[in-house]
Amino acid sequence: MKKLIAVLLALLIVAVPMFAQGAEEKKPEATSAASESKPVTIEFWTHEDANRQALEDRYIAEFKETHPNVTVNVTRQSSEKLIELIQTAFAAGQGPTMFNLSIEDEYPLIAAGRVAPIDYEAAGYKDAKAVKDAYLAGILDAVTVDGDVYGLPLELTNWSIFINKKVFRDAGLDPEKDYPKTWEDMVEVSKKLVIREGDILVRRGYDFRYGYYLVNNMPMVEQLGGKLISDDGKEAIVGEDAWVKFLTYMQNWGPNGENLGSPTYTAARKLFNKDNNDIAMCSTGMYQEARILKDNPDFYNSGEWMVVPYPKFKNAVKDVAGCYYGHFYMVNADADEATQAAAWSLISYMLSHGEEYLKNVGIIQPTTALMNSDTYKNMPYADVFTKDLERGHIVYYGANSSEIQDLIKTAVEAVMLQGVDPKQAYLQLKASAQEILDEQ
Amino acid sequence: MKNKIKTYSIERKQARWGLLFTIPCLLFFAVFSFYPIINAFFTSLTNRQALNRTSEWVGLDNYVYLFTKSNGGFSFGNSLRATLEFTLGTFIPMVVIALLLAVFLMQLRSTKTAKFLELAYYTPAVLSSVVAATIWMILFDPRGLVNQISNLLMNTTGRDFGWLVNSNMLQVSTMIVYFWKYIGYFVILFITGLAAIPPGIYEAATVDGSSRWHTFWRITLPLLKPTAVLVSIMAMLQCLKTFSTQYMFTQNGAARQPIDVITMNIYYTGIRNGRLGRASAMSIILFLIMLVLTYLQFSVSKTDDVEY
Repeated sequence: MKKLIAVLLALLIVAVPMFAQGAEEKKPEATSAASESKPVTIEFWTHEDANRQALEDRYIAEFKETHPNVTVNVTRQSSEKLIELIQTAFAAGQGPTMFNLSIEDEYPLIAAGRVAPIDYEAAGYKDAKAVKDAYLAGILDAVTVDGDVYGLPLELTNWSIFINKKVFRDAGLDPEKDYPKTWEDMVEVSKKLVIREGDILVRRGYDFRYGYYLVNNMPMVEQLGGKLISDDGKEAIVGEDAWVKFLTYMQNWGPNGENLGSPTYTAARKLFNKDNNDIAMCSTGMYQEARILKDNPDFYNSGEWMVVPYPKFKNAVKDVAGCYYGHFYMVNADADEATQAAAWSLISYMLSHGEEYLKNVGIIQPTTALMNSDTYKNMPYADVFTKDLERGHIVYYGANSSEIQDLIKTAVEAVMLQGVDPKQAYLQLKASAQEILDEQ
Repeated sequence: MKNKIKTYSIERKQARWGLLFTIPCLLFFAVFSFYPIINAFFTSLTNRQALNRTSEWVGLDNYVYLFTKSNGGFSFGNSLRATLEFTLGTFIPMVVIALLLAVFLMQLRSTKTAKFLELAYYTPAVLSSVVAATIWMILFDPRGLVNQISNLLMNTTGRDFGWLVNSNMLQVSTMIVYFWKYIGYFVILFITGLAAIPPGIYEAATVDGSSRWHTFWRITLPLLKPTAVLVSIMAMLQCLKTFSTQYMFTQNGAARQPIDVITMNIYYTGIRNGRLGRASAMSIILFLIMLVLTYLQFSVSKTDDVEY
């Protein structure tokens, strides 16, 4: 009996703290001020980009030469995978020291207090105002809370339409004149460009970037007069007519309509660089230019590609281009002070090479200095991206933006692939999005 | 005062050694199975979110929510439907065909051919589920082999059978991948069971003039009952836990709704949307479903009445 009681007591002692941890996570204590001689390890998680990797590996090596006490472990994953890895790591209290994600995925981390404000001194700024002054007006609004700035932009990206001129000419079209200006044109031009074997698409004119509905499709709804969330933040999926028209357009685009594209085909931007006569147009950002150069220099140098503005509907009530999104470098609030300081110092050092990032990777770090530089102005089709940037706005970011994006994806898939009536898909989308919004 | 004399029988000594040897295994299960299950149960009674540092006790609210609300458009009811359809559509044909293939292989006179076929059936089982799903994604592409064969069989040209598009075809596609991947594993289990049946029984049946068909139904099948029960339970549990195939398909553009099995809903709710409390409630319900179905299968089949 005594043995049994002893065993039960031992189990109780072990079990209580174990389960208690399940409900509440302990925040580690911050250490004293940063010490330059103290060994510091930075876990740096970022998304894959071969062009950027080459640059950043060099920057990190240079940084380590001047900061011998700092070790930087870099983990690179696909951008999709990185979102899940970072969220899971933070949930387990094992988040990376510094990382970058798109703002709609990072904002919940700011809201939950899991990331630290900039250590202005370590990052080389006097204060928050000095940081904001260094960047284009409003760019840092998404990462500013109570006057503190929580992230520095690795890139600010908007998507325009890339065109393969050869495919246009092959279909008897003049790319300079016949490129689509409206979404209605996009259907008509794609009909001329498309090649099929029976029902099967062998060459597509254009295809959407499925999965990125907040960036690429939401502006279509806004052009028609709809909104994602009402101005007072209480109603989701606003404007029935606009949403139903958008969903009808997508249904018409898909395999059960004009059969011009589908989410199940290989992503258009992945095919574009290969110049294999299987895609004429895709939506992507300025970074694609550096990727074309790397993947297919002959195609890049041939001048057989061009970039045109994001289209709008003929009867658009509002002129909106594709949303821009920012990838911001952020630092884990659970890291000790010295590690946070070292991370901000490294981020600042890397971001001090804005022109090199632009030339080699094609990504824009929206400092006023870079945006006014000749390097930016001389980038191919910089004017197209700049004008689309002015026509657009930042992507929707909120605590549940990824959930809402999943719902739009489901609605689009329902009308395109499962033949669901657009009105019915809209009603389902509205009810589900409202449920999520009400839960906030 | 009476002196207590300790006595040890051989059985007790053996039992102590047995306990000693099973302790590592028990510890392993305690840490990696029992603790997560109990922790998930406690978490399911809270509103824990992935990024929040604290959580509140909400009792059975998560369970009530799952059966009354739409879970932001991806209802638990739809996941139950998708899981049950997948399980029934996969595990029944898999068990039946695995048994038939095992009997066929045991009857082959050429050992080399039998060994080669065993290897061929088993090979997909060693592939990772992600690799298997990726291979099949290519095969199911409108320009892939499966669509071409479908056109050949249906005597059509350039028809897109919508293997990844049409809701029903999408469900069938996931079943095919799973069937292909796991059939070899269960064939090997059946072969092991068949090999354990004493040959003398078959010899006696042959002497008595029993036909092959009669022998299969009256001798092989009854004596194979314990293996059949084991295989059917394992296959059913595997099917209820299916995840990678559906996940890979949806990552590559297929619609989520028709194949949103419970495990995938748990993943999206817990990992993507950070609602750990609600996802834990789904996990506990799945666990209970698996427990009840396993118990029912054991009860219905009564495996202990087989004696050679």
